[in-house]
Amino acid sequence: MGRKILFITTDQMRYDAIGANGGNVARTPNIDSFAADGISYDRAQPQNVVCMPSRSTMVTGQNVGTHGVWMNGVPLPVDSPSVAAVLRDSGYRTALIGKSHFEPLLDPFLRFEENQQGFIGATEGHRGFDHMELATHGAAGFTHYSRWIRQNHPEAIGMFFQVLDGDLEVSDVPGGDSGAPQIKHNAVPRDWYHTDWVADRTISWLDGLNSEDDWFCWMSFPDPHHPWDPPESEVHRVNWRELDLPAGYPQNQAEREAIIDAKPRHWRLWYDGKLVSNYEAPAKWVPATLTADQILEVNAMAHIENELIDEAIGRVLAAIEAKGWSDDLDIVFTTDHGEFQGDFGFLFKGPYHVDSLMRIPLIWRPAPSAGGGIDAAARVSKPVGLLDLAPTFCTIAGLQPPEWMEGRPLPIDDADATARGFERVTTEWDSRQPDGTEIHLRTIMRDNFVCTTYQPGTVHDGTEGELYDLVLDPLQQINLWDDPERRSLRDELLIDLAANFVEPIEFRHAEAPV
Amino acid sequence: MATIRSHARVHRTAEDVWKIVGDPTRIVEWFPGVTEATVDGNNRTLMLKAGLPVHEEIVTLDHRMRRFQYRITGPLPIKYHLGTMDVIEDGEPGCLLMYSTEISPDPMAFVLDGVISEGIGNLARMLNDHTEEQR
Repeated sequence: MGRKILFITTDQMRYDAIGANGGNVARTPNIDSFAADGISYDRAQPQNVVCMPSRSTMVTGQNVGTHGVWMNGVPLPVDSPSVAAVLRDSGYRTALIGKSHFEPLLDPFLRFEENQQGFIGATEGHRGFDHMELATHGAAGFTHYSRWIRQNHPEAIGMFFQVLDGDLEVSDVPGGDSGAPQIKHNAVPRDWYHTDWVADRTISWLDGLNSEDDWFCWMSFPDPHHPWDPPESEVHRVNWRELDLPAGYPQNQAEREAIIDAKPRHWRLWYDGKLVSNYEAPAKWVPATLTADQILEVNAMAHIENELIDEAIGRVLAAIEAKGWSDDLDIVFTTDHGEFQGDFGFLFKGPYHVDSLMRIPLIWRPAPSAGGGIDAAARVSKPVGLLDLAPTFCTIAGLQPPEWMEGRPLPIDDADATARGFERVTTEWDSRQPDGTEIHLRTIMRDNFVCTTYQPGTVHDGTEGELYDLVLDPLQQINLWDDPERRSLRDELLIDLAANFVEPIEFRHAEAPV
Repeated sequence: MATIRSHARVHRTAEDVWKIVGDPTRIVEWFPGVTEATVDGNNRTLMLKAGLPVHEEIVTLDHRMRRFQYRITGPLPIKYHLGTMDVIEDGEPGCLLMYSTEISPDPMAFVLDGVISEGIGNLARMLNDHTEEQR
């Protein structure tokens, strides 16, 4: 009998969302508990800051340029390599329960396998998962969760925030007390909400396993991604009027806009509502209209959703304990990318490579039975990426990571990271909109600096960039790109980026906006 | 308004290709996700695998020019749509199959671009395994 692997992901969660990383609003005792017995990575980054590319990196262990899912809407080919297949082929039982998003969700012609399975309720899975039950951010679409809602609680369909408007754009309909976009007080009972459904289905799958089975379960919560529509019964948990504004939100408008103006031009264009660079934020919403109260209420909703996730995790861990597996259980917890949540006066995400979107929580609690010299409550400050997860799962299972994986097993501490050369992590962005708007970013993080270069597109001419000193400027408010004193540092980082970045071989067509 | 276009060279005569393209009910043979097509006068109704109907108006069915044009009229959230399929004898062996679409709102262009390209690919393969497909 080997080690069991519970891979827990959330969607669009900030690094500071959980208590283990200094968050002081959402109560996350279950996550904090396994963090206290495991390794927390303080500089973990996704290889792309939207869902499909990032999740494709998780399942393949590859850079975006290699797996080819360069923006949302580009499906991961069904024959792409998968860590789940590697584990399954070595005898592991494998499941993915919750949000996958390797294939487009907006699929009226039912072209994609995951939607086809969800539509008919099949659970045999693919990509090496021998069981899949999928969900996304509400009751719409062809997921298993939406089918379950339709069949069992059809009255709940209209309770969720309707994500797309009549123009098929991401909706900016205001709600809540503050009129923030994508907030809704959702009348859905808590036990019908997707967070609890994901935990319920995970427990059900685990219950069907034999006690001697080795298993890999990716439990993938759709929250705290917008829309922010947690069950209304839970809204009392966090009073937004009692929160503090995020440190990353300069309250003085002139100061805020000066910071934005020192960044590449698409920042200000989006802020003023003059640019729609990507589909992941409401096209009609103008960030300059965002109020302090709206930021507070969005943050409160995200905290509430994170508390629900933590409690759902607690139920799953209790079920695992009851099965007698806890001593052999590895837990890996992370998310696909971050969220602005008010930083710089923005919400949502896009081509903006700052910590709001790039710095993510990552915790690995190795199986207690594994031993292996892992210190309790270790923290790793060296950079790691989500492409390091798949090789880590192989190592946990006692397997040599396949050559097609481009990451490396996660280091267990900074000494291990230094010895194995964890010096940098890269993140990319490429997008092309139907109106022809193109944006391309290449980013390297190393030595406590984040450096982003912009390739020529329809907004940038290829000379723009960003450079931040994360020690002196942890909120990334001072762009050093044009600072003559930092020129040699900038050049050095760009050389390192060019040497270590995997450029896409081809830009396959997007098959849907998301 | 977004415009999208797919085309393929087919190594069959335009007359052969038009036998399929020029029969609006034969879309079920090559367009992904369509399980049924019925034509009533100038109206065509498709039934999708997902159980959704798509209502369309046939705008042009020109057997001489080998042009088929249609509009999606509902219930997909489309404000404007015109799809045009042309089968063109262009002097080369075989013929050129062109599928152009004008559509609003823009996000539907992503969805239709993908499914039309797959459909054109299916149609080209049906007609000739040695066809070059291009978007």
